[in-house]
Amino acid sequence: MKRVLIGGVGNVLLGDDGVGPYVVRMLEALYSFGEAVSLADLGTPALDLTHQIVGLHALILVDSVASDDPPGTVVLYRKEDILRVMPAERLDPHSPALSECLMTADMLGASPEHVLLVGIVGSCYDPGQPLSKAVRQSVAKSIEAILTELERLGFGFEKKMLPNEPEIWWADRPVGEPVLA
Amino acid sequence: MAKRITIDPITRIEGHLRIDVEVDNNAVSNAWASCTMWRGIEKILRGRDPRDAWLFTQRFCGVCTTVHAMASVRSVEDALKLEIPLNAQYIRNLILIAHALHDHIVHFYQLSALDWVDVMQVPKADPAATSKLAESLSPWTRNSRNELKAAQDRVNAVAASGQLGIFANGYWGHPAMRLSPEVNLLAFSHYVQALEYQRKALQVVGILGSKTPHIQNLTVGGVANAIDLDSTSALGMDKLELIRTLLEQVVTFVQQVYFVDVCAVAAMYPEWFKIGSGVRNYLAVPDLPLDSRGSEYDLPGGYIRDGDLGGVKGFRTAADEVFRKSVSEDVVHAYYQGEKPLHPWKGETEPAFTGWDADKKYSWVKAPRFNGEPMQVGPLAQVLIGYAQGHPLTRKYADMAIEKVAAIGGVRATPAALHSTLGRHAARAIRACMLAELAQKHLQLLTDNIAKGDYTVRNVPVMPTHEVEGVGTHEAPRGTLSHWIVIEDQKIKNYQAVVPSTWNASPRDHAGAHGPYEASLLHTPLARPEEPLEVLRTVHSFDPCMACACHAFDPSGRKIGVAKIL
Repeated sequence: MKRVLIGGVGNVLLGDDGVGPYVVRMLEALYSFGEAVSLADLGTPALDLTHQIVGLHALILVDSVASDDPPGTVVLYRKEDILRVMPAERLDPHSPALSECLMTADMLGASPEHVLLVGIVGSCYDPGQPLSKAVRQSVAKSIEAILTELERLGFGFEKKMLPNEPEIWWADRPVGEPVLA
Repeated sequence: MAKRITIDPITRIEGHLRIDVEVDNNAVSNAWASCTMWRGIEKILRGRDPRDAWLFTQRFCGVCTTVHAMASVRSVEDALKLEIPLNAQYIRNLILIAHALHDHIVHFYQLSALDWVDVMQVPKADPAATSKLAESLSPWTRNSRNELKAAQDRVNAVAASGQLGIFANGYWGHPAMRLSPEVNLLAFSHYVQALEYQRKALQVVGILGSKTPHIQNLTVGGVANAIDLDSTSALGMDKLELIRTLLEQVVTFVQQVYFVDVCAVAAMYPEWFKIGSGVRNYLAVPDLPLDSRGSEYDLPGGYIRDGDLGGVKGFRTAADEVFRKSVSEDVVHAYYQGEKPLHPWKGETEPAFTGWDADKKYSWVKAPRFNGEPMQVGPLAQVLIGYAQGHPLTRKYADMAIEKVAAIGGVRATPAALHSTLGRHAARAIRACMLAELAQKHLQLLTDNIAKGDYTVRNVPVMPTHEVEGVGTHEAPRGTLSHWIVIEDQKIKNYQAVVPSTWNASPRDHAGAHGPYEASLLHTPLARPEEPLEVLRTVHSFDPCMACACHAFDPSGRKIGVAKIL
């Protein structure tokens, strides 16, 4: 079976850096997918990302990126754009070693054929802050970019009639009501 | 005249570390370790429910997620004086061991082996001769000529592409690289295989923790795993059997490949038993509890001062009174406000960035001190503290390492030679072998306990209304991790994490004492100062992971340059 992974990358504790996991959790709440599609909040996996991507047919990552574009801009990157960045350099602020992991997967002959990085230009990376307004407004556009890619690759999905509550557990909540009671 | 070299950041480590060294007559005469990122995640825990803290701390670092989750629940349990059911202890122990085995394998092969192994020599090797050499070293079944040839072909393919890809950053052909093409091929072949076994170790974490990279099964007071021997979805015979199979494969790789490769590298670079010592104060806490109260452990802890193994002092528990009282953090040379060293329960994290200044503040890492002194933490501390206390399992594998190095290279290392760069690698391999053996033991303990009919996994916590303090520790792959919590009115009043890389990467303190990275670099000879491979060897031997030491992002978004000579 040809598999695709939609992975949210970033630190949910650092403001706009958490937009990747945020988008993935929104997708999970709003859509249902076929069994060939998996979704994951990957956090900041560094070299362990290799284990998530080997053997995939397609990889779609969502992440905040550093760029000169205004905050909230959605920038799409393909595999060749990512591989142009040498391992020690980084496309984004928190070093998920994406190019290194793709190169390792290439060396193993198990690199995903299709790679899309949905990059969202962030503005505020302060600890404990919610997504900035500009970034929040780019979430719908990011979801659209992901769904377009799934369609292009022939993977199925469906909008839920009754969406779930998205699991944004790191958002503020009242004391005495722990996330997992 | 001394010349300053800045290595910014150190490649092949997790996160952003900067090292500055002064070089005089081709040897390091002074050193500064600094972290280029801001720390401050702990502040967002204030005011939250203590039962949620672990979900947040698990996000401190994307590499060592589970260790911060574990130390966090333990800190709350310590504050509440809560006992943990046996099943929960064993399940936690298995997760911690599997994570550590994964981490040690990644460290040696993916993060540091290429400091010693010259990948560009691999094409010159004779796979048949390599296979013969491998047979003389280990019974490992995947050292055949065909498997080695396949590994060689991978290097040939990367080299033929004209771009070195993942190997673009090595100091290939450096005069300090001395292995034969065959040894280089053997090590490279294991570098490729290591990726498979890391993944198997992660699978164990995933089965027990429900998910990786962020486990879901923890809870203050125990674990949330449902146990049912007949079920395929709960933790039952099927899953226990799968864990057993995966662990067997990882254990074999650790004992027949990783351990042997480290001994072989040590035998071929024996001068590195004399380089890289530095701070000889060592600290480790007991871990892998064997009872619900946490009074008996499989791994010992304690501390050693100034390399005096005979004077070792042991800790009775993972939150020992001496440990609780003796830790403080100094910020005189770190970018934080404050003058006096503070105990973590009183700790503050108010930034005061001033820019890198060798004489003043130069790092985002605080300087943790134990009774006012810098301490080295990590596998070397763990092994020396165990060895000095006559811990049988530590002695078994430490003695085995000494014999293996002697058999390969004719060099007889002593326990004292472990105070070195190679000593840190050897100790990590020794620790990995110990953990491998303990993985199987704890799986058996869990299986036997469940078979007795005990399905208990959690004691439900009751939050007191008065103020309580707790410390949760874990002897993590990189060393002593401690989370310090103050709970008031059922909310978190203060939270501080004193992490292994903070101990080791610490800057100088108010007394001017170097941190372990800094001290270990002094007197290191450099064959080519413009290519400071030797500095990388020593720094990498600590297995730096700055993500949790400083927690954050690089605000400058600066491009990376390596080894800039000022």
